[in-house]
Amino acid sequence: MSTCFRVKGETPMTIDITMPRLSDTMEKGTVVKWHIAVGDEVSAGDVIADIETDKAMMEMQSFDDGVILSIDVDEGLSVDVGTVLAILAGEDDDNSVAAVDPVAVVQPSPTPSEPTLREETRAAGDQQRVTPVARRLADQYGVDVASLRGSGPSGRVIKRDVLDAAKITDEVRAAVPPSAKPAEPPAPIIEQPSLPVPATKVEVTPSPLARLENDRREPVSSMRQTIARRLVESKQDIPHYQVSMVFAMDAMMNLRKQLNAELADQGVKLSVNDLIVRACAVAMHRNPLMNASWDRDAIVYHGDVNIGIAVALPEERGGGLVVPVIHSANTKSLRVISSETRMLSEKARTRGLSMDEMDGATFTISNLGMFGVDAFTAIINPPNSAILAVGASIQKPVVRDGELGIGWEMNATLSNDHRVVDGATAARYLATLKELIEHPAAILV
Amino acid sequence: MREISFRDALREAMSDEMRRDNRVFLIGEEVAQYDGAYKVSKGMLDEFGPKRVIDTPISESGFAGLGIGAAMMGLRPIVEFMSWSFSLVAADPILNNAPKMLYMSGGQFGCPIVFRGNDGAGGQLGSTHSWCVESMYANVPGLKIIIPSTPYSAKGLLTQAIQDDDPVFCLESERMLSMTGDVPEESYTIPIGTADIVRTGSDCTIVSFGRPVHFCLEAAEALAREGIDCEVIDGRSIKPLDIDTFAASVRKTNYCVVVDQSWSFASVGSEVAAELHRVCFDDLDNHVHRVHSDDVPAPYASNLEQEMLPNARKICEAVRSVTYNA
Repeated sequence: MSTCFRVKGETPMTIDITMPRLSDTMEKGTVVKWHIAVGDEVSAGDVIADIETDKAMMEMQSFDDGVILSIDVDEGLSVDVGTVLAILAGEDDDNSVAAVDPVAVVQPSPTPSEPTLREETRAAGDQQRVTPVARRLADQYGVDVASLRGSGPSGRVIKRDVLDAAKITDEVRAAVPPSAKPAEPPAPIIEQPSLPVPATKVEVTPSPLARLENDRREPVSSMRQTIARRLVESKQDIPHYQVSMVFAMDAMMNLRKQLNAELADQGVKLSVNDLIVRACAVAMHRNPLMNASWDRDAIVYHGDVNIGIAVALPEERGGGLVVPVIHSANTKSLRVISSETRMLSEKARTRGLSMDEMDGATFTISNLGMFGVDAFTAIINPPNSAILAVGASIQKPVVRDGELGIGWEMNATLSNDHRVVDGATAARYLATLKELIEHPAAILV
Repeated sequence: MREISFRDALREAMSDEMRRDNRVFLIGEEVAQYDGAYKVSKGMLDEFGPKRVIDTPISESGFAGLGIGAAMMGLRPIVEFMSWSFSLVAADPILNNAPKMLYMSGGQFGCPIVFRGNDGAGGQLGSTHSWCVESMYANVPGLKIIIPSTPYSAKGLLTQAIQDDDPVFCLESERMLSMTGDVPEESYTIPIGTADIVRTGSDCTIVSFGRPVHFCLEAAEALAREGIDCEVIDGRSIKPLDIDTFAASVRKTNYCVVVDQSWSFASVGSEVAAELHRVCFDDLDNHVHRVHSDDVPAPYASNLEQEMLPNARKICEAVRSVTYNA
């Protein structure tokens, strides 16, 4: 990798600032914004960049004091964990800002660099320049402008760059026979050496998925990409199967009503979901395999019961979903579970969650009851071995003790990783859950 | 179709309208007995007589004001300026009275008048006689400005101007008066505010007005040999501007060069660029480039004058630059 800026004179002791692994599942991160520029002095603890991970937007702090020597990844680019993002000259190096001469020391690399690396022709800290029509066409043809080498002035990405990339992508697609399964999906972007000359006519066929007149093609957020990738991985790697059970909810509804009435003046307002979270956590004691993970040649039994709760994000904030985690839910009271859940959901919908708040789930609950869904199945959230898909509590004609009456019922469907959880195990867990839900006094202690 | 000269086309427009409408008359310096300083009104005194083809003293402010008064009272004067350079001494009547009359009289008086004459460098006439007034005058509300580039558009636009109920400035060019082109014998009009695509192309739009349209066509031929296929649009009217036609072309080509013979600051060219940036923002692959006269008073020396004006070489450079082929 070549860096754009070098310090005159002796090579100082430098510190690489790399893309940190901010969660256990993070493989790539996007530099959303740099808060520093080349030549800036930073101190340990200063926020130097905003990083978007697969789960959240995080602030990246500097661990050291020093002067920023170079910024090697542009805003908007997604790079692997460990990639050098910037280089810091350590404080001992007597490396004054004046020693950095961004004009005289530009070292153009002779060959095109890796797609994710910055353009040598661009000044450090600059945003990538893309002309309006290039941006529009990139959207239209699904070309990721962030990885294009702009052939315009100052590395500006122009129409020609996008059309060339789109054309090549198209050719790559066309080169794969429809019957043959490609080993890898064709890379959406192909690095193009800049072509200085003539206005060649490039005929581009739009993506076959966006060919109808009223189609609209929208590039997806990093979160959506992560959701897509992880769920495909989950569904492809994990042998899923489902087990369903119907729960009589009358006792739980009554308990909830009673608790809420008695605790209203303390600001407690329990939801059905809070009670289910507590029940699921307590039920793990008798069914430890439900709180475990498959790890190649072993099953890892988790010591804590950390319950993830799927939360849909509002459309106006880009939609998608996140899974805040109630850590050690098996040791937390209903009241604590309820307030934590409410706080995390609210934070997820408004400001976004921190990595800690989304990390470490050992079991996940997805509840669509509030949308009126009576039953559904969910995809396992790796490395969990199971996810419970909870439907709505509905008043129904029921037969209880040989009598026809009206009762509350709820359907819940457990998706399981068969490598860890066999059918009987899953059934036993649901039976435990049923016992707790239908005789809910046990979840109070 | 027969070919006639630009000056004949202008005369046909005026004569046709004078035959059709006896409120129309021509007034200006040497328009009658001398047949016009540039022979545009040749023979008109003979046909229409001294009451409708009127010689004036060298007194632009006076006869421009006279025309405005006549227009207010219901006649339809054509006021010829030997050169638009000389209209500056008539600034108060043509800018302060004619365009505002309808507004300031609360609609009681209109001002259906045409001011016409040579605009732009005539060829070594020196700085004070080489005015391009379009940018300066286009800044004034209440008037229309046409700028024909061919005999055909000269006849059609001037006919429309004479029939128009608002004051219209018709900017001609001494350098084009002898140019010939196909012109129908019968009377016709070209709506003011409609541009004309004079060359179709796919790689870059060139918008121009008046005489420089021909430099643009010359540049387009040269650029075609380099593989850059230009669309050339003759704006024909400066006020109102046919931005829609320019925009439709720019949406196709994604690039635009505006060629305006006036000076760049606050000019017709800058207005076209600003409007295209507004309406075509997402279609542009580069900012609109402009070619103007250099920002100096017109030089007298022939070589310097040619270098100062928009020319095919400058237009080619601008097109190569805007399309990233420089």
